[in-house]
Amino acid sequence: MPNHSSGDVLVAAETLHAESNNTAFLKHQLNDLTINGVDGEAYREALDLAWRVPGPLEQFSILPLIPFNIGDLYFSFTNPSLFMLLTLSLVLLLVHLVTKNGGGNSVPNAWQSLVELIYDFVPNLVNEQIGGLSVNVKQKYFPCISVTFTFSLFRNPQGMIPYSFTVTSHFLITLGLSFSIFIGITIVGFQRNGLHFLSFSLPAGVPLPLAPFLVLLELISYCFRALSLGIRLFANMMAGHSLVKILSGSAWTMLCMNDLLYFIGDLGPLFIVLALTGPELGVAILQAHVSTISICIYLNDATNLHQSGYLFIIEKKRGAKPSLRGEGAITSPRSKKENKKKCTSRS
Amino acid sequence: MLEGAKSMGAGAATIASAGAAVGIGNVFSSLIHSVARNPSLAKQLFGYAILGFALTEAIASFASMMAFLISSVF
Repeated sequence: MPNHSSGDVLVAAETLHAESNNTAFLKHQLNDLTINGVDGEAYREALDLAWRVPGPLEQFSILPLIPFNIGDLYFSFTNPSLFMLLTLSLVLLLVHLVTKNGGGNSVPNAWQSLVELIYDFVPNLVNEQIGGLSVNVKQKYFPCISVTFTFSLFRNPQGMIPYSFTVTSHFLITLGLSFSIFIGITIVGFQRNGLHFLSFSLPAGVPLPLAPFLVLLELISYCFRALSLGIRLFANMMAGHSLVKILSGSAWTMLCMNDLLYFIGDLGPLFIVLALTGPELGVAILQAHVSTISICIYLNDATNLHQSGYLFIIEKKRGAKPSLRGEGAITSPRSKKENKKKCTSRS
Repeated sequence: MLEGAKSMGAGAATIASAGAAVGIGNVFSSLIHSVARNPSLAKQLFGYAILGFALTEAIASFASMMAFLISSVF
C-alpha cells in the first residue's frame, strides 16, 4: 500500500482542480487503482465525489450576488432579490404586452385570455369575502389584493423551475409580506370603525365574568393571524421543495450504487419525483389562492367586525334606524340589505 | 446518542401527519356527502373543499417542516 496521508490526497485534488491534466496526480491515481483496486484510496475518493448529494436545505441558501454593506447593515443584491425582480418583470412584461394597443383586442388571443382570467379571478373573491353592507368597499381594496395575488401566483410556481430559487421559502420574505399586510389591515380597521374596532376582541352576548379571558384569547388569535399567514406559505413551499430534493437525492444515490438491482429500483423514486412535480405546482398556485382568501377574510373582519348581528349593534350605536331591530339581527348582510330596501319601499 | 435522539425526534414529529390525514379525509368525505345530497352545488362545493384541503395540508407540511428542522438544522 503506497504511504500517503489524507492531506497528501487533498493537495493532489487541489492541484487537480486548478489544472485538470496534472500528470503526476493522474499517474498517482492510476497507480493506486492498479495496485489496490476497489479497496484503494482513489476509488473511494471517486465514489465520494459521485455520491456527494447536497443536503435538502442547501437549495435555500441565500448567496450575495453583488455584495454591498452600509456600515453594519447588509444591503447586498442576493439571489432572492434577483428572482423576485425576475418574477416582477415577467408579470409586468406580460401585462404590458397584452395591453399594448390601448387595452388589447376585443377578441382576445391566448395571452390576453390568460391575463384576463387572472384579473377576473380576484374581484369575485373580493366581492365574496368583503362584500359587506357598503358597496364601495370592494373597489377600494381590490388593487392591493389583486397585486398580492398576482405576485404570489407567479412567485410560487417560479420556484419549481430547476436551478431557480424559491423566493417564498424564506421566513424573512413571507413574514415581511404578512406583517406589513397585517399592520395595514389593523390601520384600516381603526380608520373605518374608530375605537369601535376594539369591540372586535369581545364577541356579542358574552357573560361579563368571561370577558377578560375572551379578550386575551381574541387578541392572541388576532395577532397570530399575521404569523400564520406567513408561516403557512413558507411551510408549504419549503416542505414540498425539500421533499422533491430528498427523493431525487435518493434516486441519484441509487443510480451511483453500481448495482443492477439498485439501478432498476432507482426508477421508483424517479417516478415519485415526476409525480410529485404536478401536486407541487398545484400547491404553489393553491397557496396563492389560499393566502389571498385569508387576507380577504382578515380584511373583512377588520372592516365589518364579526358581521352577523354584531354589525347591527354598532350601527345602532352609531345611530342607525331602530326600526330594523326585530327582523335583521342574526341574518346575513345581504338579506339585511334586502330588508332595508323593503322597509324603505314600504315607508 | 444525540444523533439517535435527533432521529427519534424527527420521526416523532411526523406522527402529526396522522391528524392531517384524518383532516383531509374528513374534508373530502364531507364533499362527497354534500354532493350526494345536492349534486347541483357540486362545482361550488368543490371550490370550498379545495380550500379546506389546502388549509389542512398546510398543517401537514408544518409537521414535515419540523422533521426537517430537527434532522438537519439543529
